[in-house]
Amino acid sequence: MADEVARGKTHIVETLTPADDDVLRVEGVSKRFGPTVALRNINIHLRKGEVLGLLGDNGAGKSTLIKILAGFQPPDKGSLWLKGEEYKPRTVDEARSLGVDCVFQDLALVNELTVYQNMFLKRELTTKPFGFVRNREMRKRTRAALDEIGINIPTIDVPVARLSGGQRQAIAVARTISSHSDIILLDEPLAAMGAKEGAMILDLIARLKEEGNVSIIMILHNYVHVLQACDRVNLIQEGVISLDKPTAETSVEELTDIVVEEYRRARQEAQAEAA
Amino acid sequence: MSVASTDTGPAGTTPPAPGPAKAAAPKASINPFKRLLLMKEGSIVVVTVATLIYFAITTPHFFSSQGLQNLLPFFAPFAIIAAGEVFVMINGEIDLSVGGTYLICPFIFNEFTSAHIPLIPAMILAILVCTLVGAINGFFVAYIGINSFVTTLGTLFSLFGITLVMSHDTQIQTPGTSLFGGGTFESVFGNGTYSELFWAIGIVIVLQLALSFTKWGIYTVAVGGNRLGAKEAGINEKRNMMRNFMLCALLAAFVGILEAVRSGSATPDPAQSSELMFQVVAAAVIGGTLLVGGFGTVVGAMIGALFLGIIQDGLVLKGVNANYLYLYQGLAILLAMTINIYIARVRVGAGRG
Repeated sequence: MADEVARGKTHIVETLTPADDDVLRVEGVSKRFGPTVALRNINIHLRKGEVLGLLGDNGAGKSTLIKILAGFQPPDKGSLWLKGEEYKPRTVDEARSLGVDCVFQDLALVNELTVYQNMFLKRELTTKPFGFVRNREMRKRTRAALDEIGINIPTIDVPVARLSGGQRQAIAVARTISSHSDIILLDEPLAAMGAKEGAMILDLIARLKEEGNVSIIMILHNYVHVLQACDRVNLIQEGVISLDKPTAETSVEELTDIVVEEYRRARQEAQAEAA
Repeated sequence: MSVASTDTGPAGTTPPAPGPAKAAAPKASINPFKRLLLMKEGSIVVVTVATLIYFAITTPHFFSSQGLQNLLPFFAPFAIIAAGEVFVMINGEIDLSVGGTYLICPFIFNEFTSAHIPLIPAMILAILVCTLVGAINGFFVAYIGINSFVTTLGTLFSLFGITLVMSHDTQIQTPGTSLFGGGTFESVFGNGTYSELFWAIGIVIVLQLALSFTKWGIYTVAVGGNRLGAKEAGINEKRNMMRNFMLCALLAAFVGILEAVRSGSATPDPAQSSELMFQVVAAAVIGGTLLVGGFGTVVGAMIGALFLGIIQDGLVLKGVNANYLYLYQGLAILLAMTINIYIARVRVGAGRG
């Protein structure tokens, strides 16, 4: 099925050459789930301090790519490079210990646990002799982290089930950002957010960019957000990168045209097949 | 640093998130009774105390020391195994094989002592062998992916079978026990008047602390509440489940020893063991542990076991026709569950609407 889709396509791929200061590089990565090809021969690179926006339709393979980078699942083929060294994370934990942390699309929050327990999930602070969790310290640091980021959560002692979608998303983002990773992957960080919360997260990303210590890959759906927050944009279509441009050199119109063109072509092909 | 506005009202051009202002309601305005109910074990504490008062008033000798001693066998064994069952159930799984593990352990113990292994090492070895049953359960559930109900039903029947084969369907005298009692071993491991009670309380305290205040406990909740999310957060969900099944088997095996020592003999009787297993599950559920996972307490399960014990003991003392016992127990479980669901709604549903 996927091969049919691929045939006869000439995308305008304007690949920017990888530079020496790439912190993360993806070379020839492919991944399939049974008969479904999620990624085919993907090449991506991320410079230090850069914010890279990933665009693409639902099912284009964006989340699969992010999950591979986060150590959640391995690629079938291809190699990953982290700061010049081969990067083969087997678990999310391992990726995190190498400085790569991720906000997954489903947020990876546990409804039954409190805000601060979620903030420190798998990174709990414990006492030396008995391994008891240090709730008071975790509360304090959670409060501090949320305040620093500017997220307003009235109480951190309640299960996250009681919070709104936007608040939950903010907590997931805060958790990753406060983990001191230098590569941050965000899978639709603005999905459930209202305008204000969304603006706050974009502000936060702008601030991180200014500080220049972290490099970010971010999946977004809103082209305006991409142009506003990212340095560069990659478009994934049917498992391949079909566009790679600095945001300064592209526009909402161009991005829209490419995606609409893809839709038209798919419809024409479908009609041709039907006839 | 910019501080975000606290206003989450319907400002701005995009539709606001649904009702976030109500989301984190202040705690102060909740009345005391509701707050008690909001405690994880709240409902069952109320129900148990009410039951206790009822029997205390209507039944002579209920609170005498003899009365309490009669209550213990109805309570302590279930409380101990239920402590392990709670961990498995918080994972969102269930362990039915505790009945089999409980049944087989004294016979394995007997085999080891027959091979001239001293009492204590033989007991420890027997319990460790039984803990392997938990590892097998955990393997099939977490790694192979068989539903835990089916898996542990399989191991339950297998263990019944192995016990019957091993014992040639004959009763044994429990090693380390004598006709008149009084030895240190038997006093400590089940036959002392309050031996089982002390074990139960000790185990419940330790495991409740583990559940509430260690990574193990937090990961257990996380795996049951959001298995994919737990995995994404980096938790090894398979290892966590494996560990909980092993804990459950270990406790069931230990109770198998305690009970065999207490009664001085072990009978290969699958029916009685099945009943024990159902009581354990009932105790956990009555104590507020949710079968769907993500929520439960060890102390709650102990109170659930106490509740079941009080009903049994109380009804017996009252001279209720024994034929009615099951009926009352069944109704009590239904009632307790209804209350629990109501409370779960109050607790979780408060903010999400």
